[in-house]
Amino acid sequence: MNAPNRSELFVLEDGEKAVEIIEDTKIPNAATIKVVKEDHTLANMLRAQLLASPSVLFAGYKVPHPLQPYSILKIQTDGTVTPADVLTQSCHRLIGTLSTLEAKFKREFSFKDVEGAAVSEDPYGVPSTGGPTWPGGRDYLDF
Amino acid sequence: MQSSADLEPTVRIRELKKDRVNFVLENVDLAFANSLRRVMMADLPTVAIDTVEVVSNTTVLPDEFIAHRLGMIPLVSTNCDEAIRNNRDCTCESACEFCAIPLSLSVACSDNRTLNITSDHLQYDPAVFDQSERGAEGDETAKRIENFGHPVGKNDPSVPPVLICKIRKGQELKVKCLAKRGLAKEHAKWSPCSAVAFEYDPHNKLRHTTYWYETDSRAEWPLSDNAREEEPPRDDEPFDFNAKPQRFYFEVETDGSLGPQEVVMKGLQELQRKLANLVLNAKAEQEPELANGVLSGGGDPGTNASGPGAWSVTAGGWGASSAADGSPAAAGWGGSPAVTAAAGGWGTSASPAGSGGWGTGASPNAGGWGTSASPAARGWGSPSQQASGWNV
Repeated sequence: MNAPNRSELFVLEDGEKAVEIIEDTKIPNAATIKVVKEDHTLANMLRAQLLASPSVLFAGYKVPHPLQPYSILKIQTDGTVTPADVLTQSCHRLIGTLSTLEAKFKREFSFKDVEGAAVSEDPYGVPSTGGPTWPGGRDYLDF
Repeated sequence: MQSSADLEPTVRIRELKKDRVNFVLENVDLAFANSLRRVMMADLPTVAIDTVEVVSNTTVLPDEFIAHRLGMIPLVSTNCDEAIRNNRDCTCESACEFCAIPLSLSVACSDNRTLNITSDHLQYDPAVFDQSERGAEGDETAKRIENFGHPVGKNDPSVPPVLICKIRKGQELKVKCLAKRGLAKEHAKWSPCSAVAFEYDPHNKLRHTTYWYETDSRAEWPLSDNAREEEPPRDDEPFDFNAKPQRFYFEVETDGSLGPQEVVMKGLQELQRKLANLVLNAKAEQEPELANGVLSGGGDPGTNASGPGAWSVTAGGWGASSAADGSPAAAGWGGSPAVTAAAGGWGTSASPAGSGGWGTGASPNAGGWGTSASPAARGWGSPSQQASGWNV
């Protein structure tokens, strides 16, 4: 009935800030970061990565309401870095992990390719099946 | 968490089929694995029928019923990022060849038998468009594969078509449909995945769940197949409350609109794009003078979901300029000269902020930006004209 348009969950409006960093006035080295148009997918992953950093004292997130398309990250550091910097570092680290993972996936998929185990990817991106696989789902590099 | 952050993530594909991939992800955080699952289910664009104009419907099913069923039909969406633009971003009046796929269906039964109307009856039909209007020229149509936007498995006898309606003699169904690009966050019909299975800790060693039981939970709850991959717990083993889940068992099953490989790879790219966007916008937020410089040049309306000021996954930028290591300012960011000018300012003013700028960038295990071919972008800009400064 009065629910907002679904596309407002992920489309940034004109002139809308994608990120707002609000420094905490009462707690030292703390900031609240409002990430607009993002949800648990991004915020939870970041929260976990932030907690892995030794200079972070506190990191938490919430999505205040499912119909309001933003999430809030709260970060407190031990003072060696600012919350905004530690956020940037965590993002870089996650992007690093993701790109190594991407390379590994690419490799794994290409092995499945040459084995003919499953994919002979046709131009439609739809792999075809058939052919033998190594026992236990391993590939020859494991031997 | 510490331990999983130190190790490199690994992946092992156990099974790869036409419509599914089964893999084991190791040495990542639970939140990371869950984000991958979420992004594959809800953040990848596909095409699906979105508007249906009913010309005539004398079948037993009401119009809405049929429109809903049409929307659910999976359509081939390979390379959806580049092959079609968002209808809302297109400059055309309502729909054109760049932002929609025209499909029509016209079936009448004249024999004395039941006729099945299926997805095979959907025809590509440019007559659905109002020919007079088109959006700004683009290369989207050139990037489409031959059967882009057609029902999955059409003209393939091994794939049974999707039944839409059954009609008898004298009944007919005539509809004009427009298939548009969208995300599953808007409607589940745009999800490339029909199911994503996700499991960790099959023996429940971490006690993230409690099993209800009559007398003996072990006898009553069968173990999943993934349990064979892990040591069963010994009875005398004390509970390790510090243990973190390390292995995640995925099975990504697609509806055929995208291949499983494309879903996984695009999912990883989409996550990187989200993070890169966050970094850029956080920088712009911290340094308003920079943001203004960017604003005057950047503002690509953005072909992707995040709208203005966002990264588009499509073009050159980061990935292409692999020389970016060390000399980020020189590498240039995008096509337009205005953008490059802004980028010069970026490189210099990014460094005092403390994080060492882009090229030298933080991550130890990554080759940084240049190596990842993915979150590539053209144009970037801050959506905020008057970003309030936050410099410490």
